[in-house]
Amino acid sequence: MKKIIFIIAACLSLSLQAAEEGLTLPNDAMTKLNGEALIISQQRGMQVYMNNCMGCHALAFQRYNRTAEDLKIPEEVMLKNLIFSDGKIGDQMTNNMPVAKAKNWFGAAPPDLSVITRSRKPQWVYNYMRGFYADEERPYGVNNSVFADVGMPHVLEEMQGLQGKTDKVKSLENEIKYAKEDKAIANKQLKENPENSAELNKKIHDADKIIHNAEAQLTELAANGEYFTLIKEGQLSPEEFDKAMMDLVNFLDYIGEPIKLERQRLGLWVLLFIALFGIVAYMMKKEFWKDVH
Amino acid sequence: MSNQNKFMQWIDDRFPATKVWNEHLAQYYAPKNFNFWYFFGSLALLVLVNQILTGIWLTMNYDPTAAGAYASVESYIMRDVDWGWLLRYMHSTGASAFFVVVYLHMFRGLLYGSFRKPRELVWLFGMIIFVLLMAEAFMGYLLPWGNMSLWGAQVIINLFSAVPGYGEQIVEWIRGDYNISGATLTRFFALHVVALPMALLLMVFLHIVALHKVGSNNPDGIDIKKHKDENGIPLDGIPFHPYYTVKDIVGVAGFLFIFCAIIFFAPEMGGYFLEPPNFTPADSLKTPAHIAPVWYFTPFYSVLRAVPDQALGVLAMGASLVVLFFLPWLDRCQVISMRYRHWSHKLWLGLFVIAFFVLGYLGMKAPTDARTLVAQIATTYYFAFFLLMPWWSQWGATKPVPERVTD
Repeated sequence: MKKIIFIIAACLSLSLQAAEEGLTLPNDAMTKLNGEALIISQQRGMQVYMNNCMGCHALAFQRYNRTAEDLKIPEEVMLKNLIFSDGKIGDQMTNNMPVAKAKNWFGAAPPDLSVITRSRKPQWVYNYMRGFYADEERPYGVNNSVFADVGMPHVLEEMQGLQGKTDKVKSLENEIKYAKEDKAIANKQLKENPENSAELNKKIHDADKIIHNAEAQLTELAANGEYFTLIKEGQLSPEEFDKAMMDLVNFLDYIGEPIKLERQRLGLWVLLFIALFGIVAYMMKKEFWKDVH
Repeated sequence: MSNQNKFMQWIDDRFPATKVWNEHLAQYYAPKNFNFWYFFGSLALLVLVNQILTGIWLTMNYDPTAAGAYASVESYIMRDVDWGWLLRYMHSTGASAFFVVVYLHMFRGLLYGSFRKPRELVWLFGMIIFVLLMAEAFMGYLLPWGNMSLWGAQVIINLFSAVPGYGEQIVEWIRGDYNISGATLTRFFALHVVALPMALLLMVFLHIVALHKVGSNNPDGIDIKKHKDENGIPLDGIPFHPYYTVKDIVGVAGFLFIFCAIIFFAPEMGGYFLEPPNFTPADSLKTPAHIAPVWYFTPFYSVLRAVPDQALGVLAMGASLVVLFFLPWLDRCQVISMRYRHWSHKLWLGLFVIAFFVLGYLGMKAPTDARTLVAQIATTYYFAFFLLMPWWSQWGATKPVPERVTD
């Protein structure tokens, strides 16, 4: 019985700790904005998006005029400065990316990003945008630490510059890689001849320990901003770039669910009404039930 | 006779309006000691109405084709249709709420022995409703045509390939194609919006008719019809209307508070009600990293995975549902309600609830050796609870059951 409880407790706590997708770094949180500041950030984000992303990634579920209204951008301003196609203000935010050719260029057609912050979390997108680093083995010379081997080139290189993983990060990642290989071999041997299990289990345990330690160190490095180092400077300082990416993600988060703020505002009134209704209903129930003994 | 009475008389001469009203509401005598657990029947009805009404309006704006389904939900309903987002969230949250309410309703039955003689048919009709509801939810889940819709359906439909000899043909017949495609989508749409709701409504009607024939059970599990006054009215009974209508309205307020809190503040419910992979369109070439059914199916999905052999696993999953149908004949205790039973019975039931939760939790997670072992233990207990019930329900001394209901 004790053993069963232990197993249940162990697997519950393990799965709560371990993220299903494994460790991806950096994993920095965004500053939360509200009200006016949020709308201004979203406006700036739209500017970044329309100038750099829209050519490949459509936002086809959303319409320009809805965006203009919600982000408080006058329609003439949007038509003049933010719509680069011959689109009309009531059109959906599409582009002219030829899907078949794009597949050839990047390995996969650039997806529509209308609901990207709902399939991936905003924090993920934020870190993904900051995760491009130099990697000579990739066709475009860059890889991404959040989305390994992604087909997308580093579009914002001009803004951000080019960053590389620090030596410390490289050596820690090598440690993890070798430990994982050791572990896989030990696991395989364990399946083939289980009689040697004590020694092999120790090997697996040691490898897990190395991985765990290295991951903890990597997490700390990333939290301190020591995961990447700038190889080539861009137009923006790292702080400015992070801020621009927050703007971009705030914009995408709005596009993901344009009604979000309004539904939360409405929700308060709905709950208030139900609470009052509940009180009246309870009083009515008490009144009726007076004569039940 | 007033005009109103004349009008009612005119109706009653042609249709039993007053008779039905009295038999099922104003003069339907329910035990006066219903507690918290008795809210969930009327709440299930409320959610059913919610699903049908929001479903009708969603249908008006939904495009049941492989090319248009996903965009009609994410683009049209969520953005262009006035209040479309609210309809969608009410419907998607309603689906999960339906199962929450129904699971609690069924647990009430287990707790107070509501399935026992003479309420066997009430239980059986209820079980049919439960199975229909699972089918309804499963088919509805395909309709947004997100990637999890497709792959979830793929996994579940493929279960039928376990049927010996005819497996592949059956799977193809269900899909209407060699793969899940627009053909599957349109037939699931037809079943989801026409066939299954009609079957559900019919079964709900029969469930209530059967209940009102035998009368409601109560937390004490005693028959209130044994003690009647000079007019033949049960001494411990009160008319359903107005007493339980006003009481259920309080339950409705409590339910709506939680329901609306989710709709307005957490419609995705942390990825349990609306799953993140379903915000990418269905793609038969892109398998999601981890495919799991929606939370309300996961206890049964866990049973499936706990068995190492696929065909036997499907059989076990089917059996885990079928065994519930036999409940009225498995319980042999002299006493109906858990209140007056031996402590060991409460322990059996308590562990069953834990096993059910553990199975549900594990069904959402990718399997590991340790998790599979726990799922196997929980599955074994799940079946032991039912199959050994004829024995354990006769163990131990029961407490004396009062003649009249307690407060």
